[in-house]
Amino acid sequence: MKFRKIVTGISVTAVAALALVGCAPGGSGDGSASADQTLTIGALADITDWDPAQAHVGHALQPYQAPYDTLILREPDGKLSPMLATKWSYDDSLTKLTVDLRDDVTFSDGAKFDADAVVANFTHFQKENGRQAAQLVNLDKAVATDEDTVEVTLKQPDPAFTYFLSQAAGLMGSPKALDGDAIGSDPVGTGPYVMDKKASVAGSQYVFTKRKGYWNPDLQKFGGVTFKILIDVTARTNALVSGQVNATLLDARSASQADGAGFTLTKSQVDWGGLLLLDREGKLAPALGDVRVRQAINYALDRKALVKSLQVGYGTATAQPFGPASGAYDKSLDDAYPYDPAKAKKLLAEAGYADGFTLTVPGIASFEAIYAAVGQQLSEVGITLKADPVPDQEIVNKIAGGSFPAAYFQLFQGEAWVAINQIISTNALYNSFDSMTPELQELIDEVQAAPTAKEGDAAAKKINELVVDQAWFAPLYRLDQLYYTDKTVTVVAQTQMAVPSIYNYAPAGAK
Amino acid sequence: MLSFTLRRLGAGALLLVVISALAYVLMFASGTNIARNILGETATEDQVALKQQQLGLDQPLWQRYLGWAGSALTGSLGRSWFGSEPVAQTIATRLPVTLTLVLTAIVLTAIIALALGVLAATKRGWVDKLLQVSVVVGDAIPGFVLAIILAFVFAIQFKLFPAVSTITPNAPASAWLLSLTLPVLAIVINAVTSSAQQIRSAVIRQYERDSIRTLRSRGLGEGEILFKHVLRGASPAGLTVLSLQFIGMLGGAVIIEKLFAIPGIGNLAVTATQLGDVPVVMGVVLYTVVIVVIVNLLVDLLNGWLNPKVRVA
Repeated sequence: MKFRKIVTGISVTAVAALALVGCAPGGSGDGSASADQTLTIGALADITDWDPAQAHVGHALQPYQAPYDTLILREPDGKLSPMLATKWSYDDSLTKLTVDLRDDVTFSDGAKFDADAVVANFTHFQKENGRQAAQLVNLDKAVATDEDTVEVTLKQPDPAFTYFLSQAAGLMGSPKALDGDAIGSDPVGTGPYVMDKKASVAGSQYVFTKRKGYWNPDLQKFGGVTFKILIDVTARTNALVSGQVNATLLDARSASQADGAGFTLTKSQVDWGGLLLLDREGKLAPALGDVRVRQAINYALDRKALVKSLQVGYGTATAQPFGPASGAYDKSLDDAYPYDPAKAKKLLAEAGYADGFTLTVPGIASFEAIYAAVGQQLSEVGITLKADPVPDQEIVNKIAGGSFPAAYFQLFQGEAWVAINQIISTNALYNSFDSMTPELQELIDEVQAAPTAKEGDAAAKKINELVVDQAWFAPLYRLDQLYYTDKTVTVVAQTQMAVPSIYNYAPAGAK
Repeated sequence: MLSFTLRRLGAGALLLVVISALAYVLMFASGTNIARNILGETATEDQVALKQQQLGLDQPLWQRYLGWAGSALTGSLGRSWFGSEPVAQTIATRLPVTLTLVLTAIVLTAIIALALGVLAATKRGWVDKLLQVSVVVGDAIPGFVLAIILAFVFAIQFKLFPAVSTITPNAPASAWLLSLTLPVLAIVINAVTSSAQQIRSAVIRQYERDSIRTLRSRGLGEGEILFKHVLRGASPAGLTVLSLQFIGMLGGAVIIEKLFAIPGIGNLAVTATQLGDVPVVMGVVLYTVVIVVIVNLLVDLLNGWLNPKVRVA
């Protein structure tokens, strides 16, 4: 009798499950464009705080663009265009920036957007000391000179400052909301979409609907945007292929599944991977103090083979650390060190290391295949690559703290000034031994004080040539970001962002 | 029974103190600069120092732990270092999801493993052999591989279930059922095989006892022998296995939640640990220990109720 009851119970559950199967979600669309079409994006990480002062970069910036506008809009090709700011200009000292603002914009809580709001946002951003606090490190003060003009004073010229105003530092939240805690889960901005709190679930999905009366309807291409948090790449692949998201970022291993299912691939390059040859004075590894040894390492690397074996062909071999969109880029430097093991051996012998030496790098679990492949190529010229295991969360501190003479790492390829302060200047975290020469310092100063972007780029190019010639690094490749969309959506890649800005998506068939 | 329960609760409280202190120390033992991790590579040293001060990281470790423990005692688990939401609230929205996943899995595991174990122990022969083979196969395939296969076949090929969770607090029961079916299956397949094997052995041991032979010689029916005597005798072993499975599932849910994007506590724990979000990690540790203590206590009480011989004073 008891058994019969159990069997009956299981049968009822099974029938209920099968009946519900009929309600299982199907595809997300039939390919037709409509004004109210919604866009579901498979996001890579959770947004744990919607306060604009806690915004991050790259893929972690994208969701903030739904509820918040930035002062300056960054076009897909990197060009800075007006958004909440209509125009901006520096004085001759490059430390005073005058920003003119739109006067027809309101926040979603009804408050007016004006110069005081901008000042309040800058103050809040600095006070909160959030994840991109560094973007306003050079801001001395901001003053509202009239209702729609802000005068910004910088502590020193900062060629990336206007770029930062298109990033986290430029996101504008309602001053009324900034001081409270609610903005952490309920964003209040001037942006094209507003959060649907009822449909949003922290850590799972954030649903936004089109904001009525938005000042720039051209940017509202969808009836709504949903960010589905899919940290695992397998989950992202499955969600895309099964039609639960319209667009997401995959990796080289999962790309074939999306290709096979007919999804559209949009490629862009954001990061570079390679060896940071940090100990240029030879304090920990005397061999690295000799430029010929650093150059030998560069000649010993068969970059094209590494792109093929390590990145499944999704990347471009390069010997320079600056990216094509940075202004410092010089295409010819991609081939500055062609694969030449004989030359590498000769240079090592000249430097007194004919028998080779051991190069110790921090060992990160996810890079094991890279150490094996790079180590094998270096071993052919007599260099032994040793990877000492380091936990992921300590890796940045170990590299920056000068614990290792060199490291394999993958870094963001930003604007020239951003990259200089990331890997080259004495302020740079990844110049852990404070390497510098008078010639290089002069060029860095030149970039900082350049009155025009063109002049800054020219000096940055010289910096690139110099560090490539002095083999400060042994870059391997620029990595392709593989962004996939279904048939209902089109997208344009965004320079220096792994995922596009939300303005770059459009319903398929839309003009 | 009351003093036993109180003693176990006391031991549970001690366990909570020891584990939370250990977890707290381990979060900082690696020397990770959490302030730097939060602010990223572009932050200046001054900004990093300010962040350390804002988070109280400039105080000695013991002082920080006592501060956290004091707040926890008053019911406050603080706020995430990467978000504005109170930790207790974050956990409160995620714990029900994980518990639904794990409790459904454990109930199904108990029913199926009990049926299979008893069947194998009573019928023996090919049924028993089939179970033995299934145990080896089931144990050999990791849960995440099963999850990937299940998602590929039933979500992508046949589109019967969603590939990633559609669970929201207001979602209808059907969304919960559909979203949890594949994750639960991935957990259950693994858990059933090993539990069934343990239950089978326990049942066989009971059948081999002299008392059972005596009952048979007195003419008692097989059904009565099984349900009244054998299963009662085998219950401690079975319950212990299931309680261990339950605790194991809480850990195993981490990977399953990630693969199916389920907004549960496992996913939260992984993200918080990777970020170094100490308040959230400590909140998860606290809740997990409490759950483990409660489950163990319940199993002991249930064992005593089912089998008075193991009842403790």
